[in-house]
Amino acid sequence: MSQGAGLSFEQAPPFSVPLRFLLTAPLFLAAAGGLVAFHPEALASRWTAPALALTHALTLGFLAMVMLGALMQMLPVVAGATLPAPRALAAITHVGLTLGTLALLAGFLFADALAWLAALGLLATALGVFLVASAAALMRAVASDTVRGIRLAWVGLAATAGLGVALAASRAGWTTLPDVAAAIDAHALVGLLGWVLLLVIAVAYQVVPMFQLTPPYPPRLARWLAAVLAAALLLRAGAILLPPGGVALIDGVLAAGVLVFALATLRLQAQRRRRLADVTLDYWRIAMASLVAAVMAWGAARAWPAWAGHDAYPLLLGVLFLGGFAVSVVNGMLYKIVPFLAWFHLQAQLQARAGSIPTMKEMISQRAMRGQFRLHVAACLLLAGALAWPPLAVPGGVAMAASALWLAANLASAVRRFRAFGGRWA
Amino acid sequence: MKDPAGEIVLDARGLEPPEPMERVLQALALLRPGQTIRLLLHREPFPLYPLLAQRGYGHATRRDADGSYVILIHPLATEAG
Ligand code: HEM
Repeated sequence: MSQGAGLSFEQAPPFSVPLRFLLTAPLFLAAAGGLVAFHPEALASRWTAPALALTHALTLGFLAMVMLGALMQMLPVVAGATLPAPRALAAITHVGLTLGTLALLAGFLFADALAWLAALGLLATALGVFLVASAAALMRAVASDTVRGIRLAWVGLAATAGLGVALAASRAGWTTLPDVAAAIDAHALVGLLGWVLLLVIAVAYQVVPMFQLTPPYPPRLARWLAAVLAAALLLRAGAILLPPGGVALIDGVLAAGVLVFALATLRLQAQRRRRLADVTLDYWRIAMASLVAAVMAWGAARAWPAWAGHDAYPLLLGVLFLGGFAVSVVNGMLYKIVPFLAWFHLQAQLQARAGSIPTMKEMISQRAMRGQFRLHVAACLLLAGALAWPPLAVPGGVAMAASALWLAANLASAVRRFRAFGGRWA
Repeated sequence: MKDPAGEIVLDARGLEPPEPMERVLQALALLRPGQTIRLLLHREPFPLYPLLAQRGYGHATRRDADGSYVILIHPLATEAG
């Protein structure tokens, strides 16, 4: 039983706090597309400089940018966990992440010492400040399956950032790591599964039933999935300590966990209570299908060692996981978060009468979102195809950049509507 | 117990957010003195509460055995009087 109005949402941050992240992110996605278009060799081997720059334009510039901005909005609301000094926190994190990611891309592309120095300082500050501020909030938060999942993802981000900084320092020549290959493996695995996937799972528990009107996730799955994945990742990251058979076993647990999440989500979506067309729903479906495809590609590599050793194998996992899964989920969620916040802040600021402001659905043209979705799917298919037939890389990169710019324009149209009806930033 | 006639029942289960909130804000305009709104939902509408408070309404939320929520919405002034 709750009484009165003293609920946490009143301490929710001003619109500008999440919005600056959400509007910057598509520009990095466009930059990632541009990178592929100008350096198609990014898709030839994962160890080329453009491939590493591409990975981080996506993981830091797009995914982390949206995720940190959305967490600043979401922690106070779903967890009752207010962040200290939200405006200053947003400013430091946003500027640091933006400039730091640009410097990191420059570091990879031009192997420039000054760029590495700037990247290290800026990213360590931005992520460090965010991690400290959110740790305080997460410790106070009311525990739920979502909050427990976000806590595990927090650990994943901290570990990924720590390893990333150590790797960058070793690339710049300031330290030597005892086992660089093991550190890269751990950084990539924990970054993709321990941070990105665990966060998406934790958030899915809330947003899939809420926006897609599905039944809730089965309670036992919601209770255990993230914890099992996190435990497996911890063991896997310390793989050097495992007996030979242990790694294969743990990889199997990780793959099974990914598959369970994807299939459970697709099944819930098939049971939704209202069957209206919805772009975000389609984004989620593409995302879950990509996860299933990624697990299949992984399974094929277990069966055929020649495929496991092929250059295209890790790149296909990357295209499926980052482009097909993570970018799709985040892109789909942006189409809920930005229109909702525009509607909510307008409603709260104007105390508007019903009918005098646009509804959430009117904030972005449905046709424009649908068109952008199709272009995104085309880009993913072209990029995956480019792994088999390289001439597809350039059109794939162009399609990705165009779809990102279209996304930016669609989000900007919601913000323009917000302003046109008298919305203020404060 | 409130007279059921003094109540507007709003079953918003199965509506996509923020439609339940939009419906409540519409219903507030129709509320006559002494009337309350009984909102039925599948989840707790946290973002609705500050919008209500701002407009001078209070709420009482209860979770039913089947997991759905019942939110009673009333003008704050009449409660005090
Ligand atoms: C937080 C999200 C991050 C994710 C998801 C992520 C993901 C990855 C992945 C998947 C790789 C392997 C690339 C490949 O196999 O082609 C990688 C490599 C690398 N990452 Fe990150 N990363 C993140 C953050 C960072 C940060 C903050 C830094 C530095 C400050 C960093 C520095 C590096 C370096 C230096 C390498 C390459 C190591 C080498 O080849 O020498 N990463 N990262």
